Amino acid sequence: MISQTVLTAMLPEHLLLLGLVAVIALEIVGRGERAALAVAFACVAAAAVAALRLGLDGYAAAPFTGQFSVDASTLLVKAMVLALALPVLLMARGELPDGEFAALLLSSLYGVCLLQSADSFPTLFLGLELMSLPVYVLVLLAYRRPQSAEAALKYLVLGGTATATFLMGASLLYGSGGSLGIDAFARALATNDGLSRAAVVLVVLAFFLKGAIVPFHAWAPDAYEGASVPVTAYMATIVKAGVLLAVVRLFGRTQLATPMLEIFATLPLLSIVWGNLAAMRQPSLRRMIAYSSIAHAGYLFYALLGDAAGRLQAVAFYLLAYGLMNLLAFAALPAAADDVARDRLDNLKGLFHRAPYAALMLAIAMLSLAGIPPFPGFVAKFLIFKNVMAAGHTTYAVLGLVASYLGIYFYLRLLQFMFMSPDAPNASAAPRRRLALTASVACLAGAVLIAVFPGWVIAGF
Amino acid sequence: MSDAAVLNLILFLPLLGTGLLVAAPAGEPGFVRRLALVVMIVQFVLAAWLYARFDSTRAGLQFETRLPWIAQWGVYYQIGLDGYNVLLVMLTAFLGPLVVAGAFTAIAKDEKLFYAMVFLVQFAMLGTFVAQDLFLFYFFWETMLIPMFLLIGIWGGERRIYATLKFVLYTAFGSILMLAAVIYLVWSLQNTTGITSFAFSDLVKSRLPLDAQSLLLAAFALSFAIKVPMVPLHTWLPDAHVEAPTTGSVILAGVMLKMGTYGFMKLGFPLFPDATQLYTPLLMALAVLSIVYGACLALVQDDIKKIIAYSSISHLGYVMLGLLSLDLVGIQGAIIQMVSHGLVAGGLFLMVGMIYERCHTRELRAYGGLARLLPVYSVFFMILTLASVGLPTTSGFTGEFLVLLGAFRAAWPLHTTGDDLPLVLAVVAVAGVVLGALYMLRFALAFLYGAPRAPHQPFADLDRREKSILGLIVAAVFALGLFPDEPIGKTELAAKSYRQLVTASRLPGDSR
Repeated sequence: MISQTVLTAMLPEHLLLLGLVAVIALEIVGRGERAALAVAFACVAAAAVAALRLGLDGYAAAPFTGQFSVDASTLLVKAMVLALALPVLLMARGELPDGEFAALLLSSLYGVCLLQSADSFPTLFLGLELMSLPVYVLVLLAYRRPQSAEAALKYLVLGGTATATFLMGASLLYGSGGSLGIDAFARALATNDGLSRAAVVLVVLAFFLKGAIVPFHAWAPDAYEGASVPVTAYMATIVKAGVLLAVVRLFGRTQLATPMLEIFATLPLLSIVWGNLAAMRQPSLRRMIAYSSIAHAGYLFYALLGDAAGRLQAVAFYLLAYGLMNLLAFAALPAAADDVARDRLDNLKGLFHRAPYAALMLAIAMLSLAGIPPFPGFVAKFLIFKNVMAAGHTTYAVLGLVASYLGIYFYLRLLQFMFMSPDAPNASAAPRRRLALTASVACLAGAVLIAVFPGWVIAGF
Repeated sequence: MSDAAVLNLILFLPLLGTGLLVAAPAGEPGFVRRLALVVMIVQFVLAAWLYARFDSTRAGLQFETRLPWIAQWGVYYQIGLDGYNVLLVMLTAFLGPLVVAGAFTAIAKDEKLFYAMVFLVQFAMLGTFVAQDLFLFYFFWETMLIPMFLLIGIWGGERRIYATLKFVLYTAFGSILMLAAVIYLVWSLQNTTGITSFAFSDLVKSRLPLDAQSLLLAAFALSFAIKVPMVPLHTWLPDAHVEAPTTGSVILAGVMLKMGTYGFMKLGFPLFPDATQLYTPLLMALAVLSIVYGACLALVQDDIKKIIAYSSISHLGYVMLGLLSLDLVGIQGAIIQMVSHGLVAGGLFLMVGMIYERCHTRELRAYGGLARLLPVYSVFFMILTLASVGLPTTSGFTGEFLVLLGAFRAAWPLHTTGDDLPLVLAVVAVAGVVLGALYMLRFALAFLYGAPRAPHQPFADLDRREKSILGLIVAAVFALGLFPDEPIGKTELAAKSYRQLVTASRLPGDSR
């Protein structure tokens, strides 16, 4: 009986594991280069479908009580994250050594899925590390420039710091409450003694570090720029989703109160302001997206100020809209011989005349990230700020909205480059990559779906 | 097909047109132009049909559609026509084909993208007018920005990037505060009444304390006043107008500026009546300041586009004055003035575009004696100038006269009770009419009379396309000037409901 539950409840994870084993086996027999991505794609797709199916059926189970449990919304969130990983796999063709990439991506995804089901701090830790460790390697995998090594090292060191902080916080929680379940966190949040408070702050700091919240954001621009495009896309969307969804799970049903409320409002607000301001001065698309993602992490953490009931909905929908749009931008980014030149903003000048489709897709992605209707980013932003306002934090909501205004300029600047500037001097028409094109079309279709039927999608989570 | 379906068709026709343009073969600009024109004409015909079927004796919404969109937040796709928007929808649909036809020779690059953007602006503007749900309204209101950003930024003049960024950043700043206000308003409605709804008809039942009303009104008013624009928030307008291609200027002056005044009439004032009452003197003073200041600036411009741009600020000041007078005649006059300004300023910008295509300069000093060089052009120009001045028999007269009449009718009783400000403001507004005559006649005098001179001669007078565009505008200007009863009648019930909403106090605890 138990094995049956374990089989069903962890079906998405099992499928990922199966894919991982298959990819490694193919590597060993020497066929990895050709088949790895296809195998990985099939397994991730199957895992996403399995999670979606179980989630829509309202399946709920706890195969390892106190450690790992699933319910409908967990499964749907997993399905979403896994589905977002599919375009990453598509756009990776030809960018990276396929076998390694597929294996690392699958294990990282396993970590992301584990995070969504974690009921205890050890499981949570396992998920976080399983998610992050492959990414350190992924950043280094495209060793095309010296900066990659520096970026990976920076990321590794800061990621290690986050891990240490997290473990310290978890052990303090255990010391104060005697429990390693994640509900210990919610209890500690509600109590006022120094030990609990220190524990909470340490755990939260770890997530701020992983989520790149100001002032713990410094690793993000370097890591995003040093990585190759599919890896950057993966970090910006799925890793961020994993971290944020884990935070929402950790917070559970607790309502934030002073003084934690101030921390949770101030640092994300600073992130929004600083991310949006710093993005204006970036010379490359990946650095710009990095700062933009710092700002977006700010919006996402802002969602925690809202009522507990609507948190998961708001965060999940935001991540879906934000993830689709980031993936769309990276999938549509024209290829170039030189990885550094590829995303220099100067080289995107006049893109509309060379590659109208790519320019339009990038424009849609940017406008959606800026939160301008009719694109889905607007509804997502609206949902978060509506929840914050409804929880009674009017001032913070208004400040956040005004800070989000700062972000409009740099997104529009990219449009200006692509549509209104003369051609870049050394521009050439890029070869079309069929799979990346497929990925961008899929992202666009998803974006249209959630733009036209936002209510239906939101109700799903 | 039911009437409601026709209204939906009118709204979505531009979107359909965009789709057709995307599918259109590349490298055939002639086909793209004709396609755009045909879609716009169909839209106008449908709008005219609905206009004729609009029942002016019925209060409330007609041709209504209401479908759940984001049901759990109470957001509905709700559109319809009423006395507030019927004339503006008609104006938008009327200018659509003219805008497209006016761009045929002026736009020579990226035609597909250009007409697609014109369609998207048209879609967003119509949507803003017909939306009856605040979420939907905001959605369309913001959607308008992006195609306009590209229209000015791609096809504009030398400083187009600066102008278009200024336009978008100005407008977006107003919008972001309005968004905060929208959320707050809906949330407080939910808290006080238990209804979660964005529908205008529910929101006007909200009861808020005076300080909340004032802040919310400030947020809405900032957004609307930037769009109108009211002095001192007007500085984006001259830049946008001067740098925009003719099409952009016509869309801006013809329709987009009315979004601001429409927003005040449909939302800003009726939603927050007590705050509106409190700040009426201030708003009225700003309206009159806009009239006079805009006129004074128009008087000293050397760029012909700037003259018309500043005249727009002045003319929309009358609209605000009429709305704030809370006199039935003044309110109806304000609506007529919106339509009239859309026709006249739209027509004048088209004419500036036509001369610019021939002579490539907007310097007033470069021109003179066009009456002899371009007789047909000059006749049209004179008619539109006189309409702008407000000569009787033209639409400009109907609008301005009714507004001023309303302002005096409202000011006189207050004067007898000792409040002189409204009367003083009304008198100053009349002085604005004189200034208006001064700057337009100075413009026409320098432009049409004196020694004939213009760069890039010789050039041909208006061709058939240009004559038909201007002929239609002039016909509409006279129609509104000579037979104003019918359109005014359509606005009467809306004006009454507007006045009733703004004058009834809705503080919490009051019982009506």
